Amino acid sequence: MTSATPVSAAPDAPARPSPTVPAAAPAPTGRRSARRRELGACGVLMTPFFVLLVTVFLIPVGTAVYLSFFSDDQPGLGFGPERTVFAGLRNYSAVLTDPTFLGGLGIVALYCLVYIPLMVIGALALALLLDSGVVRLRGTAQLALFLPHAVPGIIAALIWLYLYTPGISPVIELLGKADITVDFLGVHTVLPSIVNIALWSNLGYNMVVFYAALQAVPREVIEAAVVDGAGPVRTALRVKAPLVRSSIVMVAMFTLIFALQLFTEPMLLSQSTPMINSRFSPSMYIYDAAFTRNNYGLAAAASVVLLLCTIALSYGVTRWTNRANAAEEDTR
Amino acid sequence: MPGRQSRRSVLATIAALPLTGALSACSGSDGAQRSGSTSSTGKTSSNSRTGRKTRVTFWSALRGSQEVVDAFNRGHDTIQVDFQQVPSGGQGGYAKLSNAARAGNAPDIATIEYPQVPGFAIDGVCRDITDLVGDSLRAKLLPQALGLTTFEKRVFSVPLDIEPMVMHYRTDLFDRYGLSVPRTWDDFEEAAATVRRKDGERRLVLFPTDGATQLAAFAWQAGAQWFDTAGGAWNVSLADAPTRRVSAYWQRLVDRDLVFMNAVESRQSDAQIGNGQVLTRLSGAWDAGAQMKARPGQKGRWALAPLPQWDAADPGVGTHGGSTFAITKDSRDPEAAMEFIEWQVTHPDALRARLSSGTSSQYPAAPGLVDVGREAFDRGYYDGQDIYTLFEQEARTIRDRWIWGPRMTATGKVMQDGFARASGGQGSILGAVREAQRGTMPDLKALGLSTTQRST
Repeated sequence: MTSATPVSAAPDAPARPSPTVPAAAPAPTGRRSARRRELGACGVLMTPFFVLLVTVFLIPVGTAVYLSFFSDDQPGLGFGPERTVFAGLRNYSAVLTDPTFLGGLGIVALYCLVYIPLMVIGALALALLLDSGVVRLRGTAQLALFLPHAVPGIIAALIWLYLYTPGISPVIELLGKADITVDFLGVHTVLPSIVNIALWSNLGYNMVVFYAALQAVPREVIEAAVVDGAGPVRTALRVKAPLVRSSIVMVAMFTLIFALQLFTEPMLLSQSTPMINSRFSPSMYIYDAAFTRNNYGLAAAASVVLLLCTIALSYGVTRWTNRANAAEEDTR
Repeated sequence: MPGRQSRRSVLATIAALPLTGALSACSGSDGAQRSGSTSSTGKTSSNSRTGRKTRVTFWSALRGSQEVVDAFNRGHDTIQVDFQQVPSGGQGGYAKLSNAARAGNAPDIATIEYPQVPGFAIDGVCRDITDLVGDSLRAKLLPQALGLTTFEKRVFSVPLDIEPMVMHYRTDLFDRYGLSVPRTWDDFEEAAATVRRKDGERRLVLFPTDGATQLAAFAWQAGAQWFDTAGGAWNVSLADAPTRRVSAYWQRLVDRDLVFMNAVESRQSDAQIGNGQVLTRLSGAWDAGAQMKARPGQKGRWALAPLPQWDAADPGVGTHGGSTFAITKDSRDPEAAMEFIEWQVTHPDALRARLSSGTSSQYPAAPGLVDVGREAFDRGYYDGQDIYTLFEQEARTIRDRWIWGPRMTATGKVMQDGFARASGGQGSILGAVREAQRGTMPDLKALGLSTTQRST
């Protein structure tokens, strides 16, 4: 982390010389003071970032870690007076042996496996289509695809809840008229139903990211491919897609991070189907542990476990793509 | 005490923020906290200034509570009760109580159902009221009822009603299909088969997928003991032999398609009862009043009978429903609060006021009030049946020793998730019970309680 230098420089900032000093000073000290001024500017400019990092990330994480290790205990049956004790790894062992939490992790893993490939491939395919010039009314198509992203997640989930609920959904009614019975909220269909909501909300956004990246692909490369006899499909898959690789990695990573925090959609759908329980995903487990079971130690430990999983997976993805990039550079 | 509570809640909400995005919960409890601290200081000072009149706040979701409070306030000068109707526990009433207690502004008196009493006691919401429960009050209450709110010889709340599970049945449809009232569970299964054979649209009963408390009552009747506090630890054995027997029984009825299996708190279930598709309801005594309110059109078609027995020679029942009144840690005048509670659970006027609302058939935990109930209850709906005598007879056979667990809402929820999956063809009733145990243990361990498991 290169940011360590500006941080250590920040305390120096008040001590930095007044602007008149450099003019009077001889050349060597002038260079030094210029350097110091640079550091000072760095400190000033970076301060807001670190203030935010500390207040909205480090302090909450630190609190969660504290809560996961210390607990207000009453020994035995629990009816005695409370005292704060160091609980050690008790909360972690409880979380990691809780089948409902592990089940939630399993569901999120399955969700990621289904959702991330669909999202990345779908968004990329749409962006390539728009970029290829096949599509008429490009602007309209782009807007139409992007629009769902402007709908807040809660509203989106409510709209889909309406479309999924038997008895009020016009979709189910129409399908019913064609003698097709679908239960969108059944045992095996809830997960695809949630994936569908997330795809609907985010596909357009990621498509725009890819489309912007495709705009930066040099035209002469495409022309060269065309001259070499590559058709539009081949150009798209073999030339354009590899050139926006870094965007693909970025989109996959952000999608992964958001997918791990799966909360809004299942939380709302759980109102309408017993197939989504109150501990469906890890985030819902945390919410349930804290606010309905009043078990803050457990909630904090689960939060830390989820955070570590997210960090590990993000790190893994970055490492893996860096290595893959390096390997490709070598072969060139 | 308030300092510790508020620090904990603020820390907890901050901790939950980045990962869950529970913004609303955060700001909600923050707001409650601020108003809590101001109102608490305001109240104490006004109390010490006026001196005479004590005001006690009371939260309840029970039917007829307003009538009871009005009757109390009319007859008392020094204590006045401020009643606030709250949602029932599962609908948010318990969350509201927990949040208020965390913020330091819980009401003086809260209504808590039996299964949730140990949880609120462990969380420190209920005050230890052993010293406030006088001998005369103690003597007036059914021992099994008080036993359910007493832990380590300390009383945490006062029972209002105790609700033996009974069988509500459709007399007209029983006549039509030539059924006699089943005395044992074997008779009951036979009757279920008859109904199914004679009319494929109807079933004898519903097995509720949201019915952890119903299954608990069935298991309780069969002699199960899900939780046990012997030896200073929570011994958990949800899948003990009696429970396995009960689960297997209901599983067989489900597998033979002799019963409906869906949620009871649903429009579907309302329709099943309303259309006469379901012939019996197995629920607490209170449900007789709820039925009168919900379906006045079925007047004269229902009667009540004892729950079928496993062994007619050794009759017993469990309870389904029933509420208690706890004084919270935030109460500034526990003595006044106890005076209102004692009046409410033992005074004839209190029961009369509640039954006058026309929607309650609660069976009082103070047996001395049964005659009042018998007189005050309008028997028209049940064709003149003396249901209070039936309740009295059933209440005597409530098996003692039953103890509810420390996180009963969560335990029940996990069980019901399993029931719902079982109704979708995945898993079984017994599987759901086992899942509930596995999903409960980590919770209890993380709370720092001593635990053991008997059967898994």
